[in-house]
Amino acid sequence: MALIQPNMSMSEVVEENTSLIPVINRLGIRLGLQDKTVREVCEDHQIDTDFLLIIINTFLNEEYFPEKRLQAFHVSQIIDYLNKTNQYYLRFQIPNIAKHLDLFITHSESNNATLNLIGKFFQSFKEHLTEQIKKDESEWFPYCLQLSGQLQKSISFNQEEIRSFSDQETNDDSLEAVLADLKSIMIKHLSGDFNENLCYAVIFAVNSLEKDIKQHNRIRYRILSPIVHKMELLIKTR
Amino acid sequence: MARNKQIAIILADMLQFYGLDCLLKEYFSPLQISYFPNMQALAEKQPDWFDFYFTDAETFLIHGDYFLPRRNKTIVLVDKVETSGTANNLISTRSSIETMIEQIEQVLLAENTNNVVETNNKDLSGREINVLQQIVRGHTNKEIAEHLNISLNTVLTHRKNITAKLGIKTVSGLTFYAIMNGLISGDEIEL
Repeated sequence: MALIQPNMSMSEVVEENTSLIPVINRLGIRLGLQDKTVREVCEDHQIDTDFLLIIINTFLNEEYFPEKRLQAFHVSQIIDYLNKTNQYYLRFQIPNIAKHLDLFITHSESNNATLNLIGKFFQSFKEHLTEQIKKDESEWFPYCLQLSGQLQKSISFNQEEIRSFSDQETNDDSLEAVLADLKSIMIKHLSGDFNENLCYAVIFAVNSLEKDIKQHNRIRYRILSPIVHKMELLIKTR
Repeated sequence: MARNKQIAIILADMLQFYGLDCLLKEYFSPLQISYFPNMQALAEKQPDWFDFYFTDAETFLIHGDYFLPRRNKTIVLVDKVETSGTANNLISTRSSIETMIEQIEQVLLAENTNNVVETNNKDLSGREINVLQQIVRGHTNKEIAEHLNISLNTVLTHRKNITAKLGIKTVSGLTFYAIMNGLISGDEIEL
C-alpha cells in the first residue's frame, strides 16, 4: 500500500482506510475533516506530523516499521501515544466488544451454553488487559519517564532502582494471542443456534482490537523497551 | 503437516523478481521463495530441493540441459505479446496480471489434488485429549509427562498437534474449548 504523505488530503486517506478512524480519534482528531491535508490537520491539533505519519503508516502496513526513526522520537512522545492507546481500549474498544457480545448472547437461542462461555472468555481477557494497563500507568510508564528525566537533568540515579522493572514480551498467553483464539473459536468451533449478524459484529470488533494491540505491542517491545534499555546502560556507565 | 512449496526464481532483473515475488506471495501463499541472480548461485544450493522454477527465456535456453528434465516444474517468462495456444509454462510478461495469475495457478496447483489427504483427521486423539485436560488444569509440560507417563518430547508434540488441529494457541483458549466440548467440567476450572 502506498505510504501516506503529509500533503495528502486527510479525508481521502481516511476514506481509503477507515480502520484509521480509531487511531486518529485517540489522538484527538475528529471526523468532519473537510479538505485539509494531513499536515494541516496535525497543525490544527498540535500533533507532530512526522510522528502521526509513522503511526498511521505502520498501522496500515505490516512490512513498514522504521525502527530508527521511531526510536529517535522522545520517550515522552512514545509513552503519550501508548497511553492514549490504552485509554482508547478501556473507554471504547473494550466496551464496544462487550456491548456487541451482550447483544449477541441475548439475541441468540437462550439455551446455547457455548455463548455464555464465550462471554466468560472475553471477560477474562478484559481483566487481563485492564491489569496490564494499570501496571503501565502505575509502574512501567512512570519508570521510563523517570529514567529519561534523570538523564536529561544528569541527576545521579539510584543504581538500585535500575532494572527493577522490565517489560518483556510473553509468548504464551499474550493478549494478542488470546484475542486471536477468541476469534478462531467463534469461527471454527461455534455450535447451536445463534444470531449470525451479531456474531459478525463481535468478530469485527475483536479483529480490529487485535490488530490495534499488535501495533501497540510492536511499538512497545521494539521501540520503547530498547530505548529504555539504552537509557539504563547510559546511566549505569556514567 | 505438508511442507510449503519451494520456489526458486532465477532472474537477473531485480525488479522482475520483485514483481513476481509480490504476485506469488499475494496469491499463492504459503510459499518458500528463494532468489538467485543466476544459475551459478542456484547450483550452490541443492538444486533439486525446489518444487518449481521461474526463469527467463534466455536462461532457460542456455541451461536447457538443466531445465528440460524439469520442464513441468519450470515457468518461463517471455517478453512478447501473448499468442493464443502458447504452452502452459510460458508466461508473457506483457499480459495482464489477471492472465498471469491464472497461468501460474494452473502450474502450481496442478499437482495439488493429491496433497490434500494427509491433514484430514481434525478430531483429537484420545491421548491428545488427555494432554489437553492436563494443560487446562494448569499443569506444566513436565508434570504432564509424569502424570501420563510419557516423555517431555511427546508432550510437546501432542501440544503442537492440538494447536494445529484446533487452531487455538493460548491456555485460556484451550480451556474454553475443553469446557465447551465437555472435556472438562466448568466447575473444575476458573476461567
